[in-house]
Amino acid sequence: MEVTIKQDGNKQDVVLNGRIDTTNADQFQRDIECLMEGDKPEICIDCSGMEYTSSQGLRMFLMLQKSVMARGGSLVLKGMQSQVKEVFDITGFSSIINIQ
Amino acid sequence: MKDYGLDLHCQMILEDYRSNLESYELLQGVVKDLLGDALKKNSMAITALESRIKTEDSLAGKLELKGAKYMTVDDITDIVGARVITFYTDDVDKIAAIAENLFEIDWENSVDKRKMHEVDSFGYNSLHYVCRIPEKTYSDPEHPELNTIRFEVQMRTTLQHMWANMNHDTGYKSNVEIPSEYMRTLNRLAGMLELADDEFSRIRTSINDYRRKVSELVSSGRFEDVNLNGDTWRNYLSLRPFDKLTKRIAAINQAEIQHATAMPYLEIFRNLFEYKTLGDVENCLKEYGEDAYQLAIHQIGGTDIDIITDTVALQDLCIVVILENGGGEAGLMKMFETLGGKTEYNRQRSRRIIDQASRLAFMNKKK
Repeated sequence: MEVTIKQDGNKQDVVLNGRIDTTNADQFQRDIECLMEGDKPEICIDCSGMEYTSSQGLRMFLMLQKSVMARGGSLVLKGMQSQVKEVFDITGFSSIINIQ
Repeated sequence: MKDYGLDLHCQMILEDYRSNLESYELLQGVVKDLLGDALKKNSMAITALESRIKTEDSLAGKLELKGAKYMTVDDITDIVGARVITFYTDDVDKIAAIAENLFEIDWENSVDKRKMHEVDSFGYNSLHYVCRIPEKTYSDPEHPELNTIRFEVQMRTTLQHMWANMNHDTGYKSNVEIPSEYMRTLNRLAGMLELADDEFSRIRTSINDYRRKVSELVSSGRFEDVNLNGDTWRNYLSLRPFDKLTKRIAAINQAEIQHATAMPYLEIFRNLFEYKTLGDVENCLKEYGEDAYQLAIHQIGGTDIDIITDTVALQDLCIVVILENGGGEAGLMKMFETLGGKTEYNRQRSRRIIDQASRLAFMNKKK
């Protein structure tokens, strides 16, 4: 799992590549910790390179979503591959996270 | 200093006004804060809370007209004024009660213009209280005058406010006499707005009565008597009707359940399925619940997913209703479009679900 974050003021462009699974979920959490700070963040995550997410990954996205909402910001996941999107769909996560 | 051509007595009053300006500023702020806090504490929704200090020009105009009436500047009770503008007529009386609790009311000089009209006359409707701040409400040892200067609090509805402003703009205090036909039209408008104000209050009361009735019906379980709409759906959801199915689905993988809003599904039931009552939703749950569970087993049973949202049951239920009733790809696409907007992915998702469901018993049973 590779996470690249580009920050410009409150706008954060994130690129995810690889798999989020039990072996690297903790690392993923540390990687995105910096997204949990600041007012009214506008976070856009490019998920086109994300090949898989486990339940741990879903929890991280949920945690990020809650944190962003509490700070009056927005979170968008973009370009998700269909097999990853399916995980968000069958768990109902598509209805709580903005996926474009 | 501007010369208004006032007599000596009125000039002295104007001088006192100028030297008191700082106190007026302070008083204006305190009154507005006290009212604002009390309104918030009482959860009163209002259109606006305004305050102002009478301008020197306006005061001079008043003194020119009726200066002899006032002994001192303290006799002019509207130099500092606050105004609370409400949505509903009933709220004017509630605001009045709040003001009575906060301030000491000078009843002799307070006016309820609403009660001043004859049965056949219409016009300015507003409640004016002349007040003082009692020390129990607020005191500042450096400014004891804040407890002695009187001020005015006006309370009226938005429509009364609109009429008052129009009336003020067209005639009151102007030097030109307004022809009687215009005044008559303004007064007719006042009558119409009074009717509208009463209607708004009546509608609010009726809606509140309706909500209470719906809440009672939903609680009593007489779902077939309850129309399906935003209010009733919210009430119904508070009974957590899909919890049992959600928990069954979660148990497939011992998943934790996260909350998500089920409000968007109202549109599916009402517009896509054309359900009319909560009874229709209940019947749907009874008729298709098991098949929705079978779909969920197929979707998440073979995975290691151990987290779901509490809308999964509803989602699968709606999918099953569409498929079992021949809605097919178009029906599913319509559902996903309703829930999350039109996207290219909706088609792919619909096809995948149809493929999954084609292997399940409910899609292969003979009707």
